Amino acid sequence: MCDATDTPAMESQPQLQKERVVGTPSKLCVKCKAAKPSVSIRRSLYCRDCFVRASVTKFRTALSKSRKRMPVARARVMVALSGGATSSAMLQLMADYQRMELKGYAAEPTYASVVAGHVDESALFSGYDDAQICDIAAAIDIECRVARLEDVFALEGDRAALLELVHATIAPGTTRDQFCVQLTRGDESKPAREQLRALFAGLGSATDREDMLDIIKAFLLARLARQAQCELLLLGDSGTRIASKLVSLTSRGRGFSLPLEVGAETPFLGSSSSGVMAYRPMRDLIMKEIAFFNLWTRQPSVVVPTFTTGAPETASIDRLTESFVVGLDRDFVSTVPTVCRTVQKLELCPEALTAAQCIVCSMPAEANAQAWRNRLTVNVAPSEQSLEHDIAPSADIQSPLSSFGVTAHLCYSCQSLLHFAKPGVALPAFCLENYREQATTSPPSDAENDVDADSQQRRESLRLRIEEFFI
Amino acid sequence: MPRQCDICHEARAIVRRPKTGQSICKECFFYVFETEVHNTIVDSKLFKPGDRVGIGASGGKDSTVLAYVMKALNDRYNYGLDLYLLSVDEGISGYRDDSLETVKRNKEQYGLPLLIVSYEQLYGWSMDSIVAAVGRKNNCTFCGVFRRQALDRGALMLDLDHIVTGHNADDVAETILMNIFRGDISRLGRCTEIATSGEGYVVRSKPFKYAYEKEIVMYAYLRRLDYFSTECTYSPNAYRGYAREFLKKLERVRPSAILDIIHSGEAMHVAKDVQLPSLDRCQRCGYISSNSVCKACVLLEGLERGIPKLGISRTKQDVEAGPRENDLVHFEKLRQEALEMRRSRQKSESCQQSACACTENCS
Repeated sequence: MCDATDTPAMESQPQLQKERVVGTPSKLCVKCKAAKPSVSIRRSLYCRDCFVRASVTKFRTALSKSRKRMPVARARVMVALSGGATSSAMLQLMADYQRMELKGYAAEPTYASVVAGHVDESALFSGYDDAQICDIAAAIDIECRVARLEDVFALEGDRAALLELVHATIAPGTTRDQFCVQLTRGDESKPAREQLRALFAGLGSATDREDMLDIIKAFLLARLARQAQCELLLLGDSGTRIASKLVSLTSRGRGFSLPLEVGAETPFLGSSSSGVMAYRPMRDLIMKEIAFFNLWTRQPSVVVPTFTTGAPETASIDRLTESFVVGLDRDFVSTVPTVCRTVQKLELCPEALTAAQCIVCSMPAEANAQAWRNRLTVNVAPSEQSLEHDIAPSADIQSPLSSFGVTAHLCYSCQSLLHFAKPGVALPAFCLENYREQATTSPPSDAENDVDADSQQRRESLRLRIEEFFI
Repeated sequence: MPRQCDICHEARAIVRRPKTGQSICKECFFYVFETEVHNTIVDSKLFKPGDRVGIGASGGKDSTVLAYVMKALNDRYNYGLDLYLLSVDEGISGYRDDSLETVKRNKEQYGLPLLIVSYEQLYGWSMDSIVAAVGRKNNCTFCGVFRRQALDRGALMLDLDHIVTGHNADDVAETILMNIFRGDISRLGRCTEIATSGEGYVVRSKPFKYAYEKEIVMYAYLRRLDYFSTECTYSPNAYRGYAREFLKKLERVRPSAILDIIHSGEAMHVAKDVQLPSLDRCQRCGYISSNSVCKACVLLEGLERGIPKLGISRTKQDVEAGPRENDLVHFEKLRQEALEMRRSRQKSESCQQSACACTENCS
């Protein structure tokens, strides 16, 4: 079978040419044309000063492009700070920008205030020092607010409970996933930190753990922003990161919600973070530029550990895509900007605007995700085929325990995430909050029919909330 | 202790299923593989009863398994299809001539009629003579462009309603990744469609869109199907190689990744204001084209004028507009002939029917 039939013009595609070493006759900085260059970015040579200035401009241009979608005038800004190179650089760039505006170059500053927000990951990674990260903010007089990963297991109030996965199969002999959960008070003697570790230990693979960590961090940052009454959250996704995220999210089956996860300006959908909007103003800078920017502006940063730090590239999907995208960008010089442009051309499909939200990741969950998968990974023997028709794939089966099905409330990707999770794993508290919010408006059995007037109204309001952000 | 099949819980498991990681027995593997293809066909309403369907057959694993499965499913579920094997002979000695022998054997084994259209016959150039003229670089462009047209021409010669090709899930996922890396947004939107409308030509579809390459090989192996497994002797596609290598690693990290990528690709929605190329007809051969002269005619002109870079190199070289003397057989002509064939077929069918009705009445 020939591969070329679909894309005959492939070899003549001009976009991706191997990088050729181009000798510049003058060997001077392309901007000032006077100084000796110190760095080569995509075949252009820059001197130190011009490079730093160009980086500042790239950040400000990206930021001001996003401004047209600012939720409120004079928004308060939280800069997400992991302490890594990109977020540290972003904090400095944003602080400089704010200082410049306050100095009175602008009649009225665009943003009311700037704070930093940090998620402490010491519960999962040893050798992690959050004081060091707060110092990065303190060094430039920015207040740093901190949330801890284990906060998602802190139970408050009377109705405090968690959702715990229970093992359930649809019928004897079949292994079709039914995602059933039950309410639990959790082990109160067990500190939240232990529960968090138990969650991560109960997940099936490094890819799943990364996925869960991203979800929890996004939730905590958005909640932190809302608690600080910030309407804007700046996320430090560099161009390189956005490109590898796009590929990684695609590989994890997240195409449906992709524009919400890597777009330049995206709203948060979770109930506890509604009204918060995320910008990605570092999207036009690649990792190399950020590394040089930090070096030449003496911006301190730390190495943020991940589950796969130091592991081989096949340790997880994130790790693999990152090394692949970085390698491809080295061989084909315009890969990262090309992929980033692709991102901007994608938009949320119409169904996503009205879809129910996944209780785990808060992203729109496509209806019938499980049915789609089941049609294509047949799991019953010929003799049991009749059984398959008796039970609608999306129906939630009541098992003898006090458990209930949540399949209809999980997106395709989170179904994969929980597929290999151990029974008995307790999900973060926000999953139950999300479920309660959904269940009160749309009972699970009606989730797909969407006949409930309440739920329609709710979805309509959701649609209105995000509609304006997509062309 | 031998392991039991994860699906039927009776027979001994002999394979680990690449798509799900389950250990299953041979019969269950055949059953799930075929049923998934059937589900794909039914869910996307690919065919209607009475359709004349050509199976693009190269003799390789994908198309051999496709021919076998299509025939089996057509019999089992009464699709009511007339199946044909349609092969393209690119004229690559040591590769295509051998694989066509396999197709000819398949014709006998499955009892399906076979039509072979050759580049030599359609374009006057075989791939061997093209490579002799242009060298090894870029020759895949010629082959790809010519094959697409050749299949459409063959389909009209047989008056087919539909062509099915053996593109598998790995191919589709690779194409999605490649289009992301290249920023080819218009193809990204199109590449996940299971069937292309063909803009007035024969509809093409990929019933194996969700079938893993490894499972196709496994199926061919376990069914002991007769297929040809040599790579093309001319250069493989370099850029696709990157995507392929990455996809294989992804599959190792998470076996469901291929399916997940396709799922993502299907959900991706291209912004409306993104300009997509408009489609027109080639002034010379009538084939669908985004320019006034289609790629195949441009490449052919380059070959004939001794400037094989025409249509490949970025330097603009003139292609004369409008028809020329020795153009390819016009598609309109082929279509008329196909229509003629259809009419005469319908006529003979209605004759048979009325004759039958007549005898009944008479008796």
